[in-house]
Order: sequence, then C-alpha cells, then structure tokens
Amino acid sequence: MDDELLSAHLQELRRGTVVLACLIILRRPNYGYALLDLLEHHGFAVDANTLYPLLRRLEKQGLLTSDWNTEESRPRKFYRTSDEGVALAEALEQDWTNLDTAFRTLKDES
Amino acid sequence: MTTTSATLTDRYIDAVLRRLPSHQRPDIERELRASVADAIDDRVEAGADRVEAERVVLTELGDPAKLAAGYADRPFYLIGPELFQDYIRLLTTLVAVVVPIVSTVVALTNVLQDDPIGTVIGATIGAALTTGVHVAFWTTLLFAVLERIPAEHRPPSRQWTLAALPVPPSRRVRYAELVSVTVAVVLFSTAILLSPVISPESDAAGNPIGILSPWLWETGIVYVFIGLVILSLGNAFSRYYGPKRAWLAIVGALVDIAPPIVLAWLATNDHLLNPAFVEAAGWTPAMRWIELGLVISAGISILSAIVEAVRRIRTP
Repeated sequence: MDDELLSAHLQELRRGTVVLACLIILRRPNYGYALLDLLEHHGFAVDANTLYPLLRRLEKQGLLTSDWNTEESRPRKFYRTSDEGVALAEALEQDWTNLDTAFRTLKDES
Repeated sequence: MTTTSATLTDRYIDAVLRRLPSHQRPDIERELRASVADAIDDRVEAGADRVEAERVVLTELGDPAKLAAGYADRPFYLIGPELFQDYIRLLTTLVAVVVPIVSTVVALTNVLQDDPIGTVIGATIGAALTTGVHVAFWTTLLFAVLERIPAEHRPPSRQWTLAALPVPPSRRVRYAELVSVTVAVVLFSTAILLSPVISPESDAAGNPIGILSPWLWETGIVYVFIGLVILSLGNAFSRYYGPKRAWLAIVGALVDIAPPIVLAWLATNDHLLNPAFVEAAGWTPAMRWIELGLVISAGISILSAIVEAVRRIRTP
C-alpha cells in the first residue's frame, strides 16, 4: 500500500482521539512533556509539535485550564481538564463506543 | 551546557517566536523552553550525549514555521475554505462582466477616433489586461482582509436553503422562446432586405428612399450582417437541442456578440442610415442620439450574451 496515503488516512482517523486522550489524562494536572510521554506510553502516537499547540487550543476553548508551577527549579505549565472538558470527554467517549459497536455490527454483517 | 548547544535551542525558539503575534510570545517561549529542556534531560538520563540529545529533540520538533503555524491564532493562508467559494464566484463574475465591458468601451472609443486598427487592438488588449489584473487584485485583497476579521464580526454569509437551487426552465417555455426568436430573425432579415424598396419617404421622382445606407449593399456588409444574425439563430437552436459543452457556450457567446458589435461599428462610422433618408425624414438633429442609442443597446446585447454564456457554463 502507498505509505503516504496510509499515513494520511491514519492521521485523519486519529485526529480526534488525541484530544480525547488528553482530556482523560489531564483530569489529573500535568505538563506538556510528561503528557507526551504518557500518551506515547499508552499507545497514542502524537508528535510534540502537534501536541503543544493542541494544548493551547483546548485551553482557549475552555476545555483545559492551566497554571504555572514555579515551585521547582524549572517552571512548568500544568494543564488540567475543566468541567466543560470533562463533559466533552464523556460525550466523545460515548461516541467512540457507539462507533466501535457500529463497526463491529458492520463487520459481522459482511 | 556548552555555548553552542544553548544557541541551538535559542535559535530554534527564536525562529518559532518570530512568526507569532507578540502577545503570545512570552508564555509560549517559557513553556517551549521547559518542554525542550525536559525532553533533552530525559535523553541525557537515558545515557545520551547532551549536545546530541539537543539535536535529536529539536529535529523531532521539526520546522519552526510549522510549529508556529500550530500556535498562531491567525490563519496561515490567504483565503480559507469558508470564503473560497464566494471568492471564486465573485471573481469570475466580475472578470466576465467588467473586462468585456471595459474592452468594448475602449475599442469603440478608439474606433470613433478613427485610430488605425493596430492601435485599436493594442489599446483593447491593454485595457482588458489592466482591468483583469485590477479586478483580481482588489477582489483578492478584500477577501484576504475578510478572512482576517474574527468570525463574529464578519457579515453573515448567506444560509443555504433548498430554495436556492436553480429551477430549470420548462421545455415548453424555452420552446416558445425559440419560436419567438426565429420569427423575430425572419421578420428582421426581411425588413432589412426589403428596406431599399419599401420606405415611408420617397424622392422627387417618386422612388422610395431606403432607410439603410446604400453603402451596406455596395460593400455586401448587409449580407454579412444577416449571416451573423442567422448564425445567432443557429446558436439559439443549439442552446435548445445541442449538448451542454463549455466550448459551445463560448462559441455561442461570440456568435451572439458579433451582430451588436458590427451594428455599433456601423452606427459610429455613419454607415448605417441612408443620409438621403435622414435628410428627407428630418432626422438630422437627432442623429447623435440615434447613434448613441444604438451603441448603448449594442452594449446591452453584448452584456446579456456574456451573462448567458457564463450561466450556460455554470449550469451542469
């Protein structure tokens, strides 16, 4: 299969899943690099240059809140899922489950 | 940390920040520095060389321009998908309407001044190009500015409804149109051909004075003109029966444009009306206005032919 085509479609398919994963993980506050590490660890492939801007967009949309933690020697920006973000994550999770069911029935039928 | 390695991260972050609006810079710089440092530390802890780790981390972050594009809250394109359709629609309509009008006016003005044909063609092409470039530039600028106005301040784009679907004219209506065009062309051609012998004015010997200039018959131009009119009748038939093709629409438009252009040219060069008739009918004082009226109606015909062609190309 054409590698470029495959990666383009994979990217398309995964686009929203990183958002959902972030909203779930960030129910406990965390900072950019640690989040990147966690996502990778849990099997969500995402590049740093996608994730960092994404966090800011989600913050701007009110789905995340942020605080600068300056207690340690290296100041870090900690993100946390807002109430709105939690609600959205629940809706997205529900949709994900529905899609999964839909795919399963589709495959059973064919 | 060595000086060189510090510079690499600095240079990278500078390259990102340079592309961002100033109000975003301090916070992004602080966060990005921490993230890069975290990533480098992680690799160093795993046993990598610090300088090498920095190179790898920055390389993985990729092109600073792309990262900046992700951070920026303004578009990195001139005209986005939301406005693109409207942009193309307005641009093509303006070019298709304004350029022919300006070219025709310039051509007629030059013809009126009895300029040599080369000058007329040159001036017309020049005017068409200049107008096209102006229309394209200003339309593009307008939409690029619109794109940068926050969505809530933009004029609301029209909500699409089913009612906006074009209604195909019923075949019967179009057939009636075709019949009337045919009748008109036959009557018109007959009137022209009979005009030398049937006239309200007659000379001293009682012979009729034709309303149209005898010059038209001497040069045979009257037959060319009638030929053109019949061609445009053929065009009306092809519109009704023929396949829908863009090239047919363009040829059709040219065929439709030809008679009014010839008419306007004849009128402005005093080749249209018979001077003897004008004198006998006492029309001499009104001649300028008659000419002007003919040129304006020719202009309107040209315009409607172009609009029709554009519509024909656009309807599938």
